[in-house]
Amino acid sequence: MKRFMFMAAITMLAAAAAFGDIARPERSPNRVTKPTPRVSTTMEIMMNKNAKEAKLLIPKSQIKQLRAELEALDDDSGNTAAVSGGFTRLQTIVSGTFLSLAFIFGGMWFVGSGRSATKGGKALAIAAILGGIGAATTVVFANVGPPPAARSITSKLFDQKVFSSYGFAYGKITIETTDGNQVKLIVPATSETPASE
Amino acid sequence: MQEIRTARFEITSAHVFVGAFVAACAVAAALIGSFPLGASIVTIFLFAGVHNVMEFRYFVARMPLRWGRSRLFYSVGIGGVIVLAGAYLTLYFASGNWLWSSESWAVFAASWNTALVLWLAVLFYLRGKQRPKSDWSWAFPAAFLLAALAWLVPQYWSLALVYIHPFVAMWFLERQIRRTKPEWLRVYHFCLTLIPFFVAILWLSFASQPNLSQDTNLFWRITQHAGSDIVPGISSHFLVATHVFLESIHYFVWILLIPLIDRRAIPWKLGDIPLFGNKNGFPKLVGLALVVAIGVVVALWAGFTIDYTVTRDIYFAFAIAHVLAEFPFLIKML
Repeated sequence: MKRFMFMAAITMLAAAAAFGDIARPERSPNRVTKPTPRVSTTMEIMMNKNAKEAKLLIPKSQIKQLRAELEALDDDSGNTAAVSGGFTRLQTIVSGTFLSLAFIFGGMWFVGSGRSATKGGKALAIAAILGGIGAATTVVFANVGPPPAARSITSKLFDQKVFSSYGFAYGKITIETTDGNQVKLIVPATSETPASE
Repeated sequence: MQEIRTARFEITSAHVFVGAFVAACAVAAALIGSFPLGASIVTIFLFAGVHNVMEFRYFVARMPLRWGRSRLFYSVGIGGVIVLAGAYLTLYFASGNWLWSSESWAVFAASWNTALVLWLAVLFYLRGKQRPKSDWSWAFPAAFLLAALAWLVPQYWSLALVYIHPFVAMWFLERQIRRTKPEWLRVYHFCLTLIPFFVAILWLSFASQPNLSQDTNLFWRITQHAGSDIVPGISSHFLVATHVFLESIHYFVWILLIPLIDRRAIPWKLGDIPLFGNKNGFPKLVGLALVVAIGVVVALWAGFTIDYTVTRDIYFAFAIAHVLAEFPFLIKML
């Protein structure tokens, strides 16, 4: 034990010596929450049978106002940390490998445990594995896109059945500036929507 | 011949314990829920260092003089604590280094988490080998599953560790009650079932509250520690209150409850510690370590007084060592 304690002390001293001269990073010096630039306005939504894709028209005056507010703020990248969605390739590979290993070792244990494992232990392990798979499934499904109807910005989105089931939608949109004083969203009208019935 | 028995209700120490536990939880939940940021600052100032000393004192008391057939278990346990704590501190202090990108930092963090669960799996496996008719090799598939989650959702994994840590103290108390105060076991299990109830009350009371102020660096760190950046959809008022509530219970477990039920954990009774009291022990080393530990607590108080935010950051960086040290001793008690 004495030898082990000695080795532990040497390791700790070496670690302290190696990293002792690295300055402690200041992760967020003098962090102060800054207001998000915003312009309050009204928006008109129009359905257009002739439109091929959605179009968002923003008045030039409001763009200028927003730009002015943006310029008034410091360009602080710390406050605009991007939230990356999805998984990196490395994450997918490593987590997939570990999931495979979990199945292999779990199966080997389940088959090989025989009488040595208690029923309670087995039930607990199965519950843990199912729970883990459930959690992983949740993560995977969290990244599945909405139904096809909610993957394009059309008048279908105004149907509660389409929109409320997933809670969000996305699709291609063209943003243009106009001389008016109101934001305008033009969406292609489809024949299946209640509005066109 | 008939015997007449009269069933009388007597107030036992177990009843006093459950009453005190429920009352303390109710008062703590009300105070912490009303002033979450202040409660966080005060509880860490008062109890963080003290509970570490009590934990250290408890672990020293549980450490056998001769490791015997547990030699491999303790070697892996203590070795793992040193290596993982060293690696964690390296990651923590080097995270702002220009040599490391955020992507590489994320990979190192996930690797550290993987090493942690694999280390735990080895400890469970070794402990299972010491127990008759036990096969704890299930620990490996469970560890691989957890490692997969650590890579898939690293942010949720880290947050889970923050919230699971207080329950480790409660698990320690459960094992200790089994050994030295079995008459409290039933009521203690009842107390444990009340904790979700108190958390539910916190949820009902504060989940709809607006987020806490992040105007200062300290407030931001407290809310971030409780997971406000990771689960932005939940009010940071509830998150901080829940975190401080659980942490407070774990402080009181270590500082008050464990010494109350275990003679060997009473701080001043050093003679009951094998490493101290035995003629082949290391009384000077143990005494010196305890004096240094008390000195660190005093230094922490001084640091908190001078610059609370910086001292808090430094404390939580080094506190990983005690989080890790709990596992070998807990697994050994299973």
